[in-house]
Amino acid sequence: MKAKVVIIYIVFALILVYFSLPSLWLFLSAFNPKATPFIALPPSSTLLDNFATLFREYDFSIYLLNSVLVSTATMILVTLTASLAGYSLSRWHSKFKYYIIYSILLLRAIPTSATMIPIYSMMRALHLRNNYTGLILIYTAAQLPFFIWLIEEFFDTIPLEIEEAAWLDGSSYLRTLFSIVMPIAKPGIAVVSILSFKAAWSESVLVLVLIDSQRLQTIPRAFYEAAKTMGGSAIEYQYGIVAVMGLFFMLPLIIIFLIANKYFVRGMAIGAMK
Amino acid sequence: MKRSYYLFLGIMPAAILILLFFVVPAIWGVYVSFTNMALVGKAARHLQFIGFQNYLRLFRDSAFLTSLINSIWYVIGSAILGQFLLGLGLALLLEYTDRKNIKGGNVVYGVVVLAWLTPALVSGFEWGAMYNYYYGTLNAILRMVGLQRVNWLGNFPMVAVVVANICQGTAFSVMIFNSALKTISKELYEAARIDGASYWKSIRYITLPLIKKIAVIDLISITMSTFSGFLLIMTITNGGPGMATTTLSLYAYQTAFRNFRIGFGSSISVVLLVIDLIFGLVYLKILKKDLT
Repeated sequence: MKAKVVIIYIVFALILVYFSLPSLWLFLSAFNPKATPFIALPPSSTLLDNFATLFREYDFSIYLLNSVLVSTATMILVTLTASLAGYSLSRWHSKFKYYIIYSILLLRAIPTSATMIPIYSMMRALHLRNNYTGLILIYTAAQLPFFIWLIEEFFDTIPLEIEEAAWLDGSSYLRTLFSIVMPIAKPGIAVVSILSFKAAWSESVLVLVLIDSQRLQTIPRAFYEAAKTMGGSAIEYQYGIVAVMGLFFMLPLIIIFLIANKYFVRGMAIGAMK
Repeated sequence: MKRSYYLFLGIMPAAILILLFFVVPAIWGVYVSFTNMALVGKAARHLQFIGFQNYLRLFRDSAFLTSLINSIWYVIGSAILGQFLLGLGLALLLEYTDRKNIKGGNVVYGVVVLAWLTPALVSGFEWGAMYNYYYGTLNAILRMVGLQRVNWLGNFPMVAVVVANICQGTAFSVMIFNSALKTISKELYEAARIDGASYWKSIRYITLPLIKKIAVIDLISITMSTFSGFLLIMTITNGGPGMATTTLSLYAYQTAFRNFRIGFGSSISVVLLVIDLIFGLVYLKILKKDLT
């Protein structure tokens, strides 16, 4: 038994090193203005220098705001349209419904790598490139199939009798939906909003394809540019600055995961194909 | 008004958005793949319908075939051998240590999930630093123990990106298997133990058969995401050296946005689309029982 426990801890240690070394390097580099590709402890006198430089010399606060703006707008649009569609699908009984759900799940199987080129050429023809309306609409459409499916399941758990009672009391369909059904579905709607914000925040393919205006950059786009171009040879490369951007890129995702952790797993296991 | 009319109206906003900004682009892509659309050169001014020429060129294009083969190796290495087996093994190990009250499992779980939460671009940046020839962490460690530097990205580029992808992606399988294992009742194992079955026997005859379906779903999911993802490779090697790590999705990206050949790029997109839809149909076939 003793030997077994020792072996398990050796395996644990190896796994910890493999999975944490890159993140640990990023974290330490973010606090080190002289960061290199080698993992090292930052000098304690200049811990926040990279943060100061990033906000002073680069337009990082604008990128942050842009990202918050795009993610929030996408979240609102997705939550509204997905809740409405999910509720309607859940209450609609016809054989047509299964075709719709089937096609929604099939759409989930199409990743952005297969649609980025047509989306680029279509949005270019419509003059919707370098335009947040275009970006937000594309993000929303890409997210909707998954979230409609997710929230539809949620509405399925709310019994129809509750609504029927309200109708008998003379409440209209719309009023019943907004004053009775939606409040009950609040946890589901919260999950959709959180996950939708997360998906828009971390999306990094379509933003490369649809945005090239400097002013409109979001965090993923700005991070990509920075990681690619900050300096020539490895010694001049501003690893510390890029690391701070990476940290800002990751942080909301970690917070969101801590909040909505159990729904991640549930959603993944059944319907998500990401 | 009839209630079904309201329900129909409720579906409309989402349906219109999906149609206009998801389905129409996909169909538009098929149309563009039959043209010579380009952003530079002669074709940029004279858009022409050229029939199947892009597709004929595609199947004679050695770069297309190379990137298709690279994609297959990348998927086998990082999704099937890496994420799937490591994920399953890790989930079993965590379940075992949890049952035997061996501490530390949740720290391991947390770190694995943290790597998964790292966006692909950031993960690529991190691993680029790990593999850096002169100053990289890996080579610095090798030098410390008195070994020669290794040219990771020059000599083993595919292994390098596979190792990075396994680090980033394994948590998905761990989480899925972890939640599947929790649904198996402890009494089953207890009964098997009383009957004299070893730990490995109970894994073989109780655990694995019960998680078979979730394993297939996991395998298809990670195959699809590995097959379509290219940001990690783009930031570590950018497909190089030469074409050694150019996968099909990266090749599509480069054709369209580095060389500006939109028509030809679209034909690669259509191939990707068809492959993804086949995966999707297989996936739905497995899920079908849950749907109806």
